[in-house]
Order: sequence, then C-alpha cells, then structure tokens
Amino acid sequence: MSTELLENLKKAIVEYDSEEAVNLARRAIQEKIDPIKILAAMTAAIRQVGDGFGKGELWLPDLVGAADAMTSATPIIEKEIKRRGITRESLGTVVIGTVYGDIHTIGKTMVATLLIAEGFIVNDLGINVTSERFVEGIKKYKADILAMSALMTMTAPEQRKIIETLKKEELRDKVKIMVGGGAITEEFANSIGADGYDPTAPGAVKLARRLIGK
Amino acid sequence: MSLKGFTRNFKPLEILTEEEIEAIHRGTLEVLWVTGMRVEHERALKLFEKNGCQVDYDNMRVRIPPALVEECLRKAPSSFHCEARDYKKSLMLGNNNLYLGAAPGLQTVDLDTWEPRLATRKENYDSVTLLDALPTVHFFSPYTPYFGFEGVPPCMAMLESLAARIRNSTKFQCVGFSNDSEIFAIKMAQAVGIEILGTCAAAPPLTIYRDAAESTFRFAEAGLPIRIISGQVMGGTAPATIAGGIITNNAEVITGLVLAQLIKPGTRVLVKDFSSPMDMSTGAPAFGRVGTSLHNAASNQLFRRYGVPIDNTSCYPNSKLPDYQCGYEKTSRLLIAGLSGANTLLLHGSVHGELTHHPIQAILDDDLAGMVKHFMGGVGVNDTTLAVNLIEEVGPIPGHFLNKEHTRKWWKLEQFVPKAADRLTYPEWMQTGKKTCLDYAKERMGEILATHKATPLAPGQEEDVERILDEARNYYRKKELISEGEMASYRESMKSPNYPFG
Repeated sequence: MSTELLENLKKAIVEYDSEEAVNLARRAIQEKIDPIKILAAMTAAIRQVGDGFGKGELWLPDLVGAADAMTSATPIIEKEIKRRGITRESLGTVVIGTVYGDIHTIGKTMVATLLIAEGFIVNDLGINVTSERFVEGIKKYKADILAMSALMTMTAPEQRKIIETLKKEELRDKVKIMVGGGAITEEFANSIGADGYDPTAPGAVKLARRLIGK
Repeated sequence: MSLKGFTRNFKPLEILTEEEIEAIHRGTLEVLWVTGMRVEHERALKLFEKNGCQVDYDNMRVRIPPALVEECLRKAPSSFHCEARDYKKSLMLGNNNLYLGAAPGLQTVDLDTWEPRLATRKENYDSVTLLDALPTVHFFSPYTPYFGFEGVPPCMAMLESLAARIRNSTKFQCVGFSNDSEIFAIKMAQAVGIEILGTCAAAPPLTIYRDAAESTFRFAEAGLPIRIISGQVMGGTAPATIAGGIITNNAEVITGLVLAQLIKPGTRVLVKDFSSPMDMSTGAPAFGRVGTSLHNAASNQLFRRYGVPIDNTSCYPNSKLPDYQCGYEKTSRLLIAGLSGANTLLLHGSVHGELTHHPIQAILDDDLAGMVKHFMGGVGVNDTTLAVNLIEEVGPIPGHFLNKEHTRKWWKLEQFVPKAADRLTYPEWMQTGKKTCLDYAKERMGEILATHKATPLAPGQEEDVERILDEARNYYRKKELISEGEMASYRESMKSPNYPFG
C-alpha cells in the first residue's frame, strides 16, 4: 500500500500535478509512512526529471512544473518531520536568491530545482533580496551554502556588498558562497571573494557538491 | 533636416487579418483594465488615479480604462524628430522609414579564440569611431559598444559609454537608466546641446518597477523622447504563444506610453517590441529564432494602426561568432523587421546576444544592412528603367548590354555590392590566400581606424562632459556604489596620456 502510494506521489510530481502531489502527501502522512521515506520518493521524482533535463529529453517547463509540484507538497512532509523531532538527511542546506535591484528569476529557479534534485535542502528567498534578508535567511536556515544570482552589470556589485555584510556579521566563514547569473564572470567572482562560480545550472550543482566536499 | 534612413517603397508585409488585430487590441485593453499593471512608484500611481484609473495602493496595482489607453495612443506623435550632435544626422522616426542602430555587448570577443573578455578603454573608443564611420549605423543604442570597459565601476558604465559616444560620434544617441544615471545623462546632453532618447523598461510580466517609472518622469519632464521597452521572453515572462505574448508586451509598453503622455502630453515615444522565445534548455532568450520575427511583424502591424513608431527585437544572434548561423539569424530578423515596418532596429556589432560585440561584426553587418536597404528601396519603374527603346536597339544575339551608357549609369544604382565579401573567381581566391569575409572586414576596420576622425566637441563641451562625469563619480562614491579600492583602479585607468581615448 505504502509503496503504491509513494509511486503515485512520484507520478504526480513527474506529471506536474501539484494538487495530486499535495493530496497524496497528506494521505501518506495519515497512513503513517515514514516522512523521510516520503521525501526520498519525492526527491527521486525530481531527480528523474532533472536527469531527463540533463539528457535534453525534457525542457525547462517540465523541470519547473515538477519542482512546483514538489514544493507544494514539501511543507506537509516537513511539518511531520518537525513534529516527530527527527533529522532530515541532506547533502546540505542552501539559501538562494537573486540580489537586490534584480528581478530575474528563471536562472535562479533552475539552479534551485537542480539542487533539490541532487539532495540539497533549498530555501529560495526569491528575487530582489536585500543583504539583510540574505543574512536573516542564513541564520534562520543554518545554511551551508549561499547561492546568489545577478543578471545585470549594475546589480552584480550587490553580491560584493552582501559578502561584505556577511563579514561584518561574522558569518562569512560559516557559509560557502557561490555566485552566478548573466553579468557574472569567474574573474568577478574571484574579485569579490566568492568561493565559486559556474555559468550553467548543472555546473552550479557540481560546484555546490565540491564546495561542501560531498 | 534629418538623416535619411532606409525607406520602404512598397506596402509593408502584413501577417494578421483586421479581425486578428482587433482581437489582440481588445485582449490588450481587457488585460489593462481587468488584470491591471503593477507600478511600483507612488507619484505614478497618483497620476494614474487622477486621470481615471483604478489604483490599489497596497498592491501597487493600476487598472487603466480603455478610453484613456486610446486617448494616450492618439496623443503620442506618429512621427517625430530626434536631434543629433550633427543636426544633419538627426532622425525623423516613424512612417515607412527604418533607422539602424549599433548594438551593445557586455564584452568584446577574441578573434582567435572566440572567447569573451572585458574591452579596454581604447577598444571602446575605437569601436565608437568605427561605428561613427559606418554609413548604415544611424544611431547608437545605450551602452554601445560595450556595457563597460576596463577600470570603470559598473555604476559609471552607462555614463562613461555615453561620454565616449558623444566625444567620438556626431550621430544620435540613446541612453538607459540605472541608479539615477539618467540625471547625469540628461545634464550631459544639455551641456552639449543634443537630444538623447531615454528609456523606460517595463519588467514582464505586467510590472513597471520604481526606477523605470522614475526614469520616465525625468526624461518626459526634460522634454526628451523616450523608448519604452519590455524585454519579455515567451514561455518565461510571457505566454508561450505569439498572440498572448503580443498582448502582455502591449500592456507593458502601452502602460509606459500612457504614463509618459500623462506626465507630459505629446511626449515623443518609441515603443520597442523586444520579445523573443525562451530557449527551453538554458532559459536564455532565443533572440535569433524565427518566433521573434513573427512577434515583431505582428506588433509592427498593430503599432502602425496605433500610429506610434516601433522598434523591434535587436538583431542579436545566438551564435558566438560571425558564422553561418549568425548570418541567417541576423539576415532573417533584419529583413522581416524591415519589410513589416519596424522604424528602428539594433544591428551592428552584436556577436552573441547582448553578451559580446565586435567591430569586425559591425563591418559585416554594414554589408547586410546595405543589402536590406537596397531591397527596401524596391523596383523603380519608369520609361528609363523599363528600357524598352534600349532593348529594341540591342536586339537578339550578338547584341549585348555591357557596352551601353544605360548600363554604365544604372548598374551601380540597381545593384548593391557588399564591401567585405568574397567576390573573386575560384583561381583568384586560391592564389590570394583564400580570404574570407572576416579577412576583408579586418582590412576595412584597419582602413577606417587609420583614416576616420570624428568631429571633436566644441571648446568648453569637453570640459563639461568631464565635469559631469566627475559629478557622477562623486555622487556614486557618496552612495557607496564605488568603493575606495574601485576608485583607485578607476583613477589609474584614467592616467593614460591618451585619456579619454585609451
């Protein structure tokens, strides 16, 4: 029964059906299935879509559709994990966002989705994120990695500002920082003291693993 | 007096029926009134409310009634003059005229490795000189040729770019806006006595953010023309369908147009249809795809009905170098835009999207532009060109036309000969090193840079430009947008004996 339910949950995600994913996640909790197992099934579904995307068989709307279905159902499972007081295993926790003054969302969402598929816990702060909100997010989620996106030459310096703020807050040594976006180059990333840069979303996932040694 | 652009001497290409145009127009009005737009600017919201719009201040949502939309579309002039530093190079935008602009790139590209890198100050100034010399470059877009160059902090990129263009070119200039850069851009234009085309950039879907609205106020109040853009990417920030994409794009640019007309009725507005489909594997805008041209052609038809001049998606190729892909992407985009009634288009120099620009590409584009200009001129039909008497005079073989005065005069007018193209016979080509168009373009670049000198600024104007740049540098240092470290390397970059030219 539980296997069938989890298979259906995976199916709902790979078919981009948020409503069904939420229903099945609720049922799985009602049926007292181990929430860690539920989450593992959901991550497997996302990984399947991520692999298809990597092979060029699936496209961005597929990736984003599956991620939406997963993120709709995730809070239900997380609530149960918290209630039971158990620890969720992951590769690490990421706080991600597009910097202040910049409202480009798609590249950041791609990276966030692929990081989830890889097994990271991802907290997406969205777009136009101020340095204060990044700091708050890093503290709140105890992030291992901060991932920042900037698509415009004018907003790229904001990444430098955030790194400076983290230094002031004595948080800089507690997180690995990766940067990306159309306006960012390797040279720029080095100049602002980021730990890593990659121009592509799949590359960003490999970078994240490398940064935390996994 | 104004520069003659490319005149289209025949009916424009029309791809929509009257009913289809009407359906798109009605859809636009419905979106503007029922869905509304988010405008993140209090003064703008108040102005909309005062003029009969419904405004929800908490959500910064404005709903614009159809009557106001149509009234403002009528108020925007259907054609208008934009004054350049050399008044003979001013533009008269609208009608059946197409002007081409130089396109920007974030960086330059190495001609051997085709890898991008930051341009030097000298490369930036040389590129401006070259674009000033190319006859089919009618104006410069903001940030052209480079979004920034070595030593310049990002917040100064817009103004350093404008200063370079004002110094090294007498053609018409456009500017963008970022972190109040428009305040100094307007001052610089006023100091030199030129007009500049400002920018209002909507953020799709359906949003005009604070800086865009503020910039619209500043340019309109300064009495300057404004280009209204919304850089939608279909499938991402707009519907994946062309018709749906046109509706959201329309709603976004028309909101900018309405705002400009409410700030100052009669403000000169150039609307830009800057749409492209999303590349569904990378998320990047697929500027070079044919879907872009469908969107542009349909929008051109619509704005002809509105009587508002229109700019099209810049001719950015997705190719990384001037190869076959780059050639077909640019040619199809430019030709369709020209035939369907675009009034302006950015073409010259862009190598890969907005990411790289190279003067060699600009020279190749000059030839492409020449071809399209020639086609748009159409076929002249009169007694002389019909040449019936000449045909009778020559008659059948052994008669021929090569030795006729009519041929000597007319072939040059009836043919366009590209400058940087391979036109040799096979044996000649093999004997002369198998040169390609790139080799010819490099030669032409060398010749232009050795001979072309832009008219220098008048005494006093150069000092004004430098003074305004300094004012901006201090402004951004106070705002902590230029750190002390950046300022030190910026100063270092200005120490060249050839400053400001390299």
